[in-house]
Order: sequence, then structure tokens, then C-alpha cells
Amino acid sequence: MGSPLHKSTSGHGTAVLEKPEPAGLSPEMELVRDALFRHVGKPLPRKEDGRLITGKGRFSDDFSLPGQTFAAMVRSPYPHARILGIDTSEALASPGVLAVLTGADLLADGLEPIPHNPVPSTKFDVKLTAAGGGIPFTGPHYLLPVDKARHVGEAVAVVIAETAAQAADAAEKVFVDYEELPHVTETAKAALPGAPAVWDEVPNNVFIDSSFGDEAGTAAAFAAADHVVTAEFHIGRVTAVPIEPRSSLGHFDDETGRYTLYAGSGGAVRQKGELAKVLGIEPKNLRVLSYDVGGNFGARNRVYVEFGLVLWASKKIGRPVKYTATRSEAFLTDYQGRDLITKVELALDREGKFLAMRADNLSNVGGRCVSLSPLSKGSGLITGSYHIPVATLRARAVFTNTMCTQAYRSSGRPEVTYAIERLVEKAARELGFDKLELRRKNLVSPDMMPYTNAVGSIYDSGEYEKNMDRALELADWGGFEVRREEAAGRGKLLGRGFANYVESSIGSPKERAEIEIKQDGTVEVVIGTQPSGQGHETSFAQVVADMIQVPVEKVWIILGDTDIVSVGGGSHSGRSMRHAGTVMAMASADLLKEGRRRAAEHFGADFDAIDFESGHFKLRGTNQTIDIFTLGDLTREKDGPLRVARDNEMHTPVFPNGAAICEVEVDPETGHVLITSYATVDDVGRCINPLIVHGQTHGGIAQGVGQAMWELCAVDASSGQPLAGSFMDYGMPRSDNMPSFKCEIAEVISPTNPLGIKAGGEGGTTPALATVVNAVLDSLKDYGVTDIDMPVTPHAVWRAIHQSKGERDARAS
Amino acid sequence: MSKVAITVNGTLHTKEVEDRTLLVQFLRDHLGLTGTHVGCDTTQCGACTVIVDGKAVKSCTILAASIEGASVSTVEGLADGEKLHDVQAAFHEHHGLQCGFCTPGMIMASVNMIERHDGVLDEATVRHELEGNLCRCTGYHNIIKAVLSAAEKHRTAHAVAAE
Repeated sequence: MGSPLHKSTSGHGTAVLEKPEPAGLSPEMELVRDALFRHVGKPLPRKEDGRLITGKGRFSDDFSLPGQTFAAMVRSPYPHARILGIDTSEALASPGVLAVLTGADLLADGLEPIPHNPVPSTKFDVKLTAAGGGIPFTGPHYLLPVDKARHVGEAVAVVIAETAAQAADAAEKVFVDYEELPHVTETAKAALPGAPAVWDEVPNNVFIDSSFGDEAGTAAAFAAADHVVTAEFHIGRVTAVPIEPRSSLGHFDDETGRYTLYAGSGGAVRQKGELAKVLGIEPKNLRVLSYDVGGNFGARNRVYVEFGLVLWASKKIGRPVKYTATRSEAFLTDYQGRDLITKVELALDREGKFLAMRADNLSNVGGRCVSLSPLSKGSGLITGSYHIPVATLRARAVFTNTMCTQAYRSSGRPEVTYAIERLVEKAARELGFDKLELRRKNLVSPDMMPYTNAVGSIYDSGEYEKNMDRALELADWGGFEVRREEAAGRGKLLGRGFANYVESSIGSPKERAEIEIKQDGTVEVVIGTQPSGQGHETSFAQVVADMIQVPVEKVWIILGDTDIVSVGGGSHSGRSMRHAGTVMAMASADLLKEGRRRAAEHFGADFDAIDFESGHFKLRGTNQTIDIFTLGDLTREKDGPLRVARDNEMHTPVFPNGAAICEVEVDPETGHVLITSYATVDDVGRCINPLIVHGQTHGGIAQGVGQAMWELCAVDASSGQPLAGSFMDYGMPRSDNMPSFKCEIAEVISPTNPLGIKAGGEGGTTPALATVVNAVLDSLKDYGVTDIDMPVTPHAVWRAIHQSKGERDARAS
Repeated sequence: MSKVAITVNGTLHTKEVEDRTLLVQFLRDHLGLTGTHVGCDTTQCGACTVIVDGKAVKSCTILAASIEGASVSTVEGLADGEKLHDVQAAFHEHHGLQCGFCTPGMIMASVNMIERHDGVLDEATVRHELEGNLCRCTGYHNIIKAVLSAAEKHRTAHAVAAE
């Protein structure tokens, strides 16, 4: 039965909680923090741009090694099929072919499955278990399967040849003897009795089944409620579409016994650890290089089979092996996003106060479980921005014969935000409340912070009503009627959509920073995050430069090479600036402390007589000063380089929040939807570089809008075949279907970390699905349309109009 | 195999290549100019955009042999030594790139657009003409700003020249 999360009390969201205070700061920490806050918030243009705008970027496919060979994958054309045997003889005889490897070869060499560890395990993650509370079976992920193919596109063999073309030609000559099996691709169907079992170990496909919240309290509240509103939504499957397709180059050096992997990812340190386990080697014998990464959005945060395959193959044939996915392969086999069916119920009193909520969330993980992030993160936020005293949630995850899903931009939060915001609008419409007033009267207020919601998430800080008001102002909500009439004059329907959001940023808890004052007058910072466009080389340089008070041009950020970066959480879940910023602040403080010690010795004075200002150590009361670079030089021989390393671990999540509003113009003849305006207010906590944060918001909005309007990894259920295999089938946000944005940053300082940072990378996406669909429904309300599925393509809109018209005609006749 | 002679960024290159070699492969693999990127396989993403004899084209969809004798401009040839092209500078100033993968194609398409329109561009036209260049990071907002800014610079420079 339901079990409360953590120490969430039953009944009312007033858990006993200590407001997280930064532990008493050392003088150095105070110094760096104050220095940072004096300069923070500058929209500095980026340091990394230089190489990227001149064609000198270092993306994975840009690397080549002498003697390199090329790999091509043999992929299953069936959604579910037993592999009876693989005949590689014809392929082996094909021109240029050096090897053809299968799952059997893999097992013979003792390779292990990829240790994805998908069950979330940070302190504040929702605890997901199998039905009955046991450890869930998640489906082992060998680089190549021996038993079955479990989705269309699963690699079952790999061909290595002199050229990519020869490898591709030979791949078509590998004969795989498949025995087709019954398949199930649909989320709901897979969880019903009688569905084909994707794994024998989980005959009913539902490998996660956990309940949370206060069941008795929720049932009582529903029973006593004046109103109950229910809804069911399927937030469909989309894919990340980073413009750089996956690419990896593996190499084994006989002399040193070391492997090297060039592969863009979301964090080289994690990739190194996991691949070392796959290959059965010591991590120190694998170097992973992830330099420029052409987009991630979550899809690059897990190991792909080809990373292990090129490494393994390179040792077997004694030459480097490169594999670069085509876009078709990317559509088929990138880790995909979302795919949640959510049944939600809201209990209200006569005045519209929210009393309780129930949610039943079913997440489709695909052929095996690579990550439970979407289900887990969404589970903690089902009540959204509203004070809902009690709730229960049933969270399930199901296997299907589709590609595996993983976290995708704001993992899990857009789905549950969609559900609560659409449910609230449904309540407003059915019960006759104003949709903004109904929200307003139920918002979590600042004096409730830190607020523990009914499923145990502790919102750290935020001014939700202020966000609403500012967003309404930005969007000129009051001027809508005039615009609506003007559009009507042109035969178009104007609609407006509103959504609040609160989302979470947890992320891997550990991070490490190393800072060194170099002899060439620069500062080198080693950090374990992995940018894929977020501008860390600039914003992190900005942070360190400001903290140790040297010009930002002198600070250089090193990341992406595991021979240099030993510890690091990578980049995901909006963790980077918060974790990196904090550990860099601590390392800066350590650096200045060591600098003071050396300066004191240099001046022959007491430690306490040394001050630090603008990059110089000064002996108080005299005019003796020495800059940090000269100090480093002078003391290098005696004390070693002026260098520090600091590890930090932070578990407390933060909760970025805000509101989004858009207006859409719908053509009732064609169903075409045009977004005419889009405005947002986003509370990111302390904002380090607004240029970069706005850029993240823009891109996040586009990905959310994309899902609402055009994107879908459509699968034909009867054949199990994916239908969106290229940009001809998969609709995308383009320059000519997107509006310009009006985005504003709100800074409500988070008490959870010394720099007060929340996160800014995913707030653009979180409310976008709800905002757009609410706007479209608003535009169609005179037609009596009350529901529509994403993506709201012209066909979907046209169908909704005519279906509704048909229903009304039928009722009238 | 064919012997193909193409001028790239002002330098004549003659290479013996398989007939099926695409222009983007010629540039990346045979000339080592990896600034031009491959982002799709249906000629729709625009990451491979270069300029061939004054026309912006998708280099993933032309055979190198078919443009024997032509003059090609890629992103590597835009800057004049240390001095960035106005379009490059505008992308930097207005944060018109994040991961940078679509950027070379986006820049080349924009350079060509500004030339064809002689810098007379508005938001709607820029958005329409960049439809063939996909970006997943920026949401296009700052790219449009960058192009309009560079177009303005072009107009000003030509107005001055005209005086």
C-alpha cells in the first residue's frame, strides 16, 4: 500500500524541516562569495565561440586516427524476434571486411552488460521498486544480444571494414535467422494481461510498481469533496534530435595496454567507469575524450552499445574503429524521451480550494530499462505549483518492444506539469471558475517555503504569484480581446494559454574542481561537468575570475578528458552551475587561503596581516603587495605549484519555477496553428550569465513547443514499425514556424547552496506543452473542443473541430 | 575513381576520389576541412551548407565530381586572418550558437542570404530563408537577431561605399 516518502507527514504538507543554511562560511568563502556577487549577472559573450564559428570545433567525428577502420551495425527489422543464428560468412568474404562480431563472440570474450543502474538512488529521488517492494528487474544491456531482438533497430551484429561504405555493404550480407515473436509497442496495452512478454523475467512487463503518499487521507478528502475532476493524458514519445549524430572512435594501444575512446557524451567520467566494467578492465586503462558535443538534452547521458563495440573491436583487430550513426539510425536508436500515460484526479471544495489529488502514472521505458529518471522526477512534482495537502501516486514502468527511453530535457517534469495544468483548466471550465483565479487561490505562497508537497518534495524557495503577475504583464494578457477580434476579422481563431510550473534539479551529488595558477599568467580550472552548448567555458571562467578577482580572459576551463578530469558528475538535470559553482567557490577559497599563507611567509608577516584584493595579496598597513601570479612563480620551487583540488557533495535539490503564456492563431479551414507570441518568467535562483540563461530558455521552449506541435516517434502498432525515420516524417521546430520570445529572469535566491543558484536549463521546456495545448483549446472553445492530443498538427486540429461539430450535430438532431 | 579539381577557399585541390564521393566527404575526409558537418541523411538539416559558385548548397547532396572546376567557400575560409566575417562576429555577439554543430551551415546560409538580398532583410524573410537549417539548441531567436544585425552592417557598409 502507499508509503510516505522520506519523512513526509500524513495529512498536511507541513513536515518538520530545517531550512538548509549554508554552514558557517570561512573568511575565504565569504570573500569569494562577495567578490562573485559584485560582478555576477554579466551577459559575457562566450569564450568557446572562437573555434565554433570558424569551423575549428572538435566534434567526435572530426577525430581520425591512422589506420582507422569503420563499423556498421546489423540491425533488427523486427520489433520482437528470437535470434536463432547468425551467418557471417558472406559478409566476411565481402571486400575490405576485417571482422564480423555477434553477441556470441561478446559472451565468449566475457564482456559484461552496461551497468546503467537505472533505479534512481540519490538521497532525494523518489524510491521506485518492483510490485511488492522488491528490487526491480531492469533488463541487462549487453552490447549485442544473444537471445532476442527487443525493438526495431536493435544492433545484433557489427561489421568492421576498411571504409564506411564497405562496412555498410557487408552489413547487408549478414544473414540473421530470426524467429518473429508477438510484439507489443503500445504503452497501455503492454501493461494489460495477455500482452506479449518482452522479458521472460517479467511476464506482465510491469517491472516498477510503487505507491506513494497518504492513501487514507487522500481517500477521505475525495469522499468529502464537493467536486472531483478527472482526466487522462498520454504524453507521447519524442526524440532529442541533437544535430550532431552519435559518433565514437575506439583505439587500443598494445604497448601501454590502454584503451582510448573519443565519444561525445554527457559526462566522460561516468562513461569511463561504465565501459571499464563492460570490458572487464581497470578504469585507469581507459581514457575517454568528450570535447565538443553537438547537443545532448539527455540522450547522450547513457552509454551506447557502439562505444563498447568500437573499443572491443579495436583490440580484436589491432586497429582503431570508428562508428558514426546516420540520422536514420539516430531516429531509430537514440535513447528517446517521455511516453507517459497519466490518469489524474483532483478533489476541490465549493470555493475551488484544492483538497487532494490522485495520479496513476505509467512510463514506457522501451525494450529494456536504461533510466527511470522521467518516472521518478515526475513523481515528485505531480502537484505542481499548488498547495494540495494530500495526494497518492501509483508509479509504474513497463517494457515494450520499442527503443529505450531516457531522460529528455526536463525529464518527467513537462509530463506532470502538462497533467496538472490541463487538469486545473478542466476543473475551471467544468465548475465555472476563472482559470487564472482558480490557480491563484491555490498557489504555494512564499511564507510556506520551504514547502513539502504531498509526495515529499521540498520546494526550497520561490514567489509563484509574483511570477504569474509578471508573466501576465509581459504577455499583455489584458490586451488579448483586441487581438482576438482583429484575428477574427481575418477569419482566424486566436487563443491564449497559460501554465505555471515548478521543476526540480537534483543531479549527481559529487563534483570536483582543481584550480592552478600557471606560470604563463593564466588560471587553469579542471571541472567534471560536460557542456553540449551551455557555455561552461565562459560561465565557469566568469565565476572563478570573479571570485579570485582576475580578468576572465586569464581563466581557462578544462573538461572532457578523463586523463585530466578524475571526478565529475557530467551535465544533466540542471546540475552544472550549482554543483560546479559551489565546488569552484570552495576551491577558490582554498586557493586564496594557501595564497595568503605563502604571501605571509613571503612578507615575513602573520597570516592574519594579509588581505586580498583585485588579484593581489597585501600586507596590511604597508604598501607591500604581490599579485597572485608572481606569488605562484616565486613560491613554486619551494612549495610546488599554487594549486588546489576540492571535492564536494550536495544532495539537496532545488526547484526552479515560473510561468509561461503563449497566443496561437488557428486557421479553422486548414487546422494550421501559428504561435504569435510566447512570454516566460523563470526563477533560476542567482543568475550568473543572463545571455547564456536566456539562450537555454529559448532552446528549452523550442523543444517543448516541438513536442506540443509537431514531434512524435510514431509507431505502427500492428507491425511494430517505427514510422518517423527521418526529418521527412518527424516534424521539427524550424526558424519559420517559431516565434521570437519575451523571456524574463526572476532571481529568488536558493537557501540550499552558498551561491543561491537553482538552475536555468530546463524551465523553458517544463510548461511549454501545457501552455501551447491550453492556447489551442482556448482558440477552439467556441467549437466545443475540450480535449486534443499532442502533437497539435493541422490534421489533429481539423479533426477535433469536425469531430466536435459532428457530435453537436448529432445531439441537435 | 575520378580525378576531381575543386577550388576551396581560394586554393585549388585535385584529388582522386571514388565517383560516389559527396562534396561534404571531399571536404571533411579528403581535405581535412571538418568545419562542414553532416547532420542528416535526407538533405533537410542544412548543417552541411557551403557556397558553390555563389550559391548556398547542401554539400551532402552533391557529388564532388559533379562540380569539377567550381569554386567552393566553407566556414573555414570566411575570416580574414584574425578578423572575423561580420556574420561570424554577429553570431558571437548575439549568442547565436550554443553547441556549435549547426553553426557553420547556419553561417554560410546567412552569408549567402545577406549577399543575395544586399542586406535588405526583415525578421519574416530571415525566418523563411533559414527554414532549411535546423538548430536544436537556440530556438532560433538569437540566430535571427545575429543575421539581422549582420545585414544591417552590410547595408551600412554598402551605403557608405555608395556615397
